[in-house]
Amino acid sequence: MIKKIVLNLIFLSPLVYMLYGLQSAVDPIKYIYIHTGSTAIVMLILTLCITPLRKVKNLVKYRRFVGLYTFFYAFLHFINFFVLDAELSVAFVIKQTLDKPFVYLGMISFVVLLFMSITSTRKLFKKYRTWHNGVYLVLGIITIHASMAQKVLSAVEYFYIFMAVILIGHRAFKSKWISRFFANFLQKRVKTA
Amino acid sequence: MDIIKKPSWHISENEVTDEALFNKRRDFLKLGAASIVLTTTVMEQLSAVETTKRDPLKFKKTSFGKDLNINDFNQASTYNNFYEFSLKKSEPAKLAHTLNPSPWDIEIGGEVEKPFTLSMEEIIKSYPLQERIYRFRCVEGWAMVVPWIGFSLSHIIKLAKPNSKAKFVKFTTLFDPKQFPDQAKGMFGNIPYPYVEGLRMDEAMNDLTILSVGMYGKTLPKQNGAPLRLIVPWKYGFKSIKSIVKIEFVQEQPINTWNAISSKEYGFYANVNPQVDHPRWSQARERKLGSFFKQKTLMFNGYEKEVANMYKDMDLRKFI
Repeated sequence: MIKKIVLNLIFLSPLVYMLYGLQSAVDPIKYIYIHTGSTAIVMLILTLCITPLRKVKNLVKYRRFVGLYTFFYAFLHFINFFVLDAELSVAFVIKQTLDKPFVYLGMISFVVLLFMSITSTRKLFKKYRTWHNGVYLVLGIITIHASMAQKVLSAVEYFYIFMAVILIGHRAFKSKWISRFFANFLQKRVKTA
Repeated sequence: MDIIKKPSWHISENEVTDEALFNKRRDFLKLGAASIVLTTTVMEQLSAVETTKRDPLKFKKTSFGKDLNINDFNQASTYNNFYEFSLKKSEPAKLAHTLNPSPWDIEIGGEVEKPFTLSMEEIIKSYPLQERIYRFRCVEGWAMVVPWIGFSLSHIIKLAKPNSKAKFVKFTTLFDPKQFPDQAKGMFGNIPYPYVEGLRMDEAMNDLTILSVGMYGKTLPKQNGAPLRLIVPWKYGFKSIKSIVKIEFVQEQPINTWNAISSKEYGFYANVNPQVDHPRWSQARERKLGSFFKQKTLMFNGYEKEVANMYKDMDLRKFI
């Protein structure tokens, strides 16, 4: 129980830190974007590191927990876009999403993370397990999204790209993910048909 | 326009007061404040103030922007895009102490009668300084209102006497890796250096275009482009080149730094235009610094009356 509270406090600390800094933020909307966005990416990378490192230290039971916090920060990021940036204008959100690759890459990631969060309960996870491999798609496109948010790339973006290449590469080649994914996918199609 | 030429024996007010003593009082106050409230925010703000020791300037107020709501000095001096120091906007205020704005010479050459060099002292003494409150709109989507102090660029152009071949004015920022840490990184630098910008001759001669030497009553903070920078209020901020060492009159349109980096996203003209989006984000609205709410971006940043006629035959979607 105490462990759980401590863990939650640790994962909420970036939010507390952000709210503290927000008082003196010169460009508040941008500030919230940067903090929620980078926190979500770091947590996504953490989530995806758990599986390959499970032989070193088995933290698989925390994977869902970290994953849900990834979604939590992604959600704050989206809320910043919808409430403060778009000022609740659905038309603006839709137009930007359709027009700008930068925005739709973020939106696709958000929708996938939303889907994964909803289907992360034990019951639903069993059913949608394969679909959760979509998290690697999110990692890929969110790295592009983060890079597109900059005018020129800095060390932070190179770090994201490096981690994305390592994690996606590990999943795709070592676990023969691609072939299995398609095999499963086709099998299900045949069954349902 | 009255040009006040000061006699050589003239002593300005700031020279009379013992500055060291005057500054000590401040340091003492800062120390007191810091010991009471030791929060990171306060410390950051104090360190920002310390790197920006500025001399007061003599200038005339003008009616430019008298109805605009001016941003705080702190906002304008701690949120800077100055890639010669860092990609992060909060960093130039902390790093800019390596820049030494005096002595400072500006080379003037190219298609002129005779190339020459001007020192900053000569510039400040020769031209009547005015305060102009202008909107400043960054291509990234943020905006502020700043009381710049400067003089019309046309003064320099008239002094340089460009010949008939001169069609554009090219500006260059200082290249000195000792003063600008990022320039020491060679090909691993944030952007190619030195930073270059340009204006068409009619834009350069426009009454709104100024060379700024100060803001908020005093000389420019180093992180804001001391000692001399361009201010072109109807264009995105990257046109307003900082820490200028060279002004050249040229026949061909200069390739400005951001245009060279990504010509699809940043053009030569870079006029503020809410109808023409950046490929990655909308330019219709802007975030005024210090505000949680956005505001509408105005055509030519609100200077349509003064500048629109220069572009009347141009397709503004093509000439970004």
